[in-house]
Amino acid sequence: MKDFFMLIGFSEVLLVIFMQWEVYVTKIVKTFSIGSYIISIFLFYLSFVQHSYLVLILAILTAAIRGFFIPTFILRRLSKDPRRERESKPAMGTAFSIIISLVIAIFAYVLYDVTMLNFVGVLSGAIPVALIFQGAFLIISRKNAFIQLIGYMVMENAAFLFTGYLFPDLPFSVEAGTVLDLIGVVMISGIIMRMRESTPKKSDDFDELRG
Amino acid sequence: MSIIYILPMAASLIGALLCLARIEKFEEIISVIMSVSTIIFSIVILFLPDVSDAFLFLDGISKIMILTISIVYTMTVIFSTTFLKYIDEPLFQKRFYYLLLNLFAFSMFFSVSVNNLGLVWVGIEATTVTSALLVAVENDESSIEATWRYIIIVSSGLVISFISNVLIYAATDTLDISKLLTMNAFSALLPLGGMMAIIGYGTKAGIFPMHTWLPDVHGKAPAPVSAIFSGVLLPVALYAIIRVIQFTPVAYVKTFALVLGFLTVIIAASLMAVQTNYKRLFAYSTMENMGMALIGISLGGYALIGVFVLIISHAFAKSSTFFLSGNLLSRYKTLKIDDVKGVAKRMPSTAYTLLFDAMAITGMPPFGTFFGEIMIILVLLSVLNIGWTLLLVGFLALAFISMNFKVGKMIFSDSEGEKMDRKRIGTLVPIIDTVFSVAVIFFIPFISKVIK
Repeated sequence: MKDFFMLIGFSEVLLVIFMQWEVYVTKIVKTFSIGSYIISIFLFYLSFVQHSYLVLILAILTAAIRGFFIPTFILRRLSKDPRRERESKPAMGTAFSIIISLVIAIFAYVLYDVTMLNFVGVLSGAIPVALIFQGAFLIISRKNAFIQLIGYMVMENAAFLFTGYLFPDLPFSVEAGTVLDLIGVVMISGIIMRMRESTPKKSDDFDELRG
Repeated sequence: MSIIYILPMAASLIGALLCLARIEKFEEIISVIMSVSTIIFSIVILFLPDVSDAFLFLDGISKIMILTISIVYTMTVIFSTTFLKYIDEPLFQKRFYYLLLNLFAFSMFFSVSVNNLGLVWVGIEATTVTSALLVAVENDESSIEATWRYIIIVSSGLVISFISNVLIYAATDTLDISKLLTMNAFSALLPLGGMMAIIGYGTKAGIFPMHTWLPDVHGKAPAPVSAIFSGVLLPVALYAIIRVIQFTPVAYVKTFALVLGFLTVIIAASLMAVQTNYKRLFAYSTMENMGMALIGISLGGYALIGVFVLIISHAFAKSSTFFLSGNLLSRYKTLKIDDVKGVAKRMPSTAYTLLFDAMAITGMPPFGTFFGEIMIILVLLSVLNIGWTLLLVGFLALAFISMNFKVGKMIFSDSEGEKMDRKRIGTLVPIIDTVFSVAVIFFIPFISKVIK
């Protein structure tokens, strides 16, 4: 079980590092989808090990919503607006962002080691913590709203992985509620992103957001 | 489960669903009826015994939150009936505005009524989903940008509070609030979960350093939406922190909350001094009040009563302030303080109500905010040395001077324009709110009794 979790966790970390150097939004969305399917595979496995039908439902929900529905929704939005498909000017260069990603992974491990390891007792718990920071970094380092949304969902996936492995007994209603909320956030974000593109731009508008 | 306790939730949800009917003005009428009914239900609930079952947990704190939400929600609905016509090109039809507003109220009622910390999280995240589009109603670029910042920052913050829930569950084996409040033994993961909850929910409550979405959203949202955000949404996020601190009897968690509250007051008061946009000025004032509330929450005991006096009084005064900012914007067509002149001559009702509100939100007697802050400061004095307390009072004074000087400048400066007060509802609703803000002081013994 532990080895399988390590395998899943490292795959997730690699996928996020791939997202950091990728500039094509569609590829980032598809990578996120793959990451979500991998988490659902882990949950399937967990449900068989623990004989828990609730974890099985969670695995199906993860595959259906995080793996299929949300990426499909974002890709459809993107297809209506090909200009957004490539981020032309990321906030920081690819090489620099990869270095920072590695530094974040080390920082997350140290932080986990100092704060949680003694209580949780599982060293591989550092992986989801690293993923949360990677997701946050994706939000900070990119200007493209779609990629920022993916960054948020990477954080959500990491939290899900953290819960699924370390604390699988968490009430199902909470986890199901999380999934439903995620759908809401993505739908609303999709609408806002379309509006961002279609609203006429006035140079003095952003003066109102200063201070 | 007694059905009466879920009636505020049910009324707002039914109101939302009925808004889908395509009948002229029906969405306004039904929203007013349903929101007024939530006030009636919440008053009845206030006098009923506390309830704790598998789904609901309503003690004095929850009951007071429900009553405050229902009043501000009703005022917002009534004010919206007159305000929406001033938005030139709204993002969507009026019935969708009321649909979202009712759903937003439902998610807040849900958050403060459920007996599960995980579901509290679900409710607070749902407030983001239901309210995001309300921020963008004016449909211009800066409001859409503000909405995006709101979604991404608040949702990321709530991921932290989700993890805090997981840690709390790991430490205690339950997320039931009723069980958590009676628990004595817990593992060392609980304080860590508690601190993460303060950061996560603090993001939604506008607590430093995750506050950056707040001035953007309050500054760009339509007046009634800013009013309900400032009046009750932020306190709903604080409600989650109150619960976490109640069942985390660890000194350094409370110290952590105290430090964040302190920093929030300092940052907000400093930024108030340099504001040139009146809605952002009011937004930073909200942040300052939430900082004070967090200080009170961290201190507990008598200060917690002060927190609720502050929250209730602030909810009424600040919602009134934002309603009036809508009146100013609809007439002056600007958000710049320097461009708003002679309000006393041109909009006398708005001017004098705003003057009282500015005093109320900065904690001047006889408003409830003053008594709330005094209660918190008195307890603070018994915990910290006088130097720290004086520092805090100094920044409160800075906030007071900044707010009242700038509002006074808008009201009493010379202007040669014509008189242009708004329609009666647009001026009456803020006046009622302001009166409520004073009236809170007569209920302090009752609030104290309910919370204890």
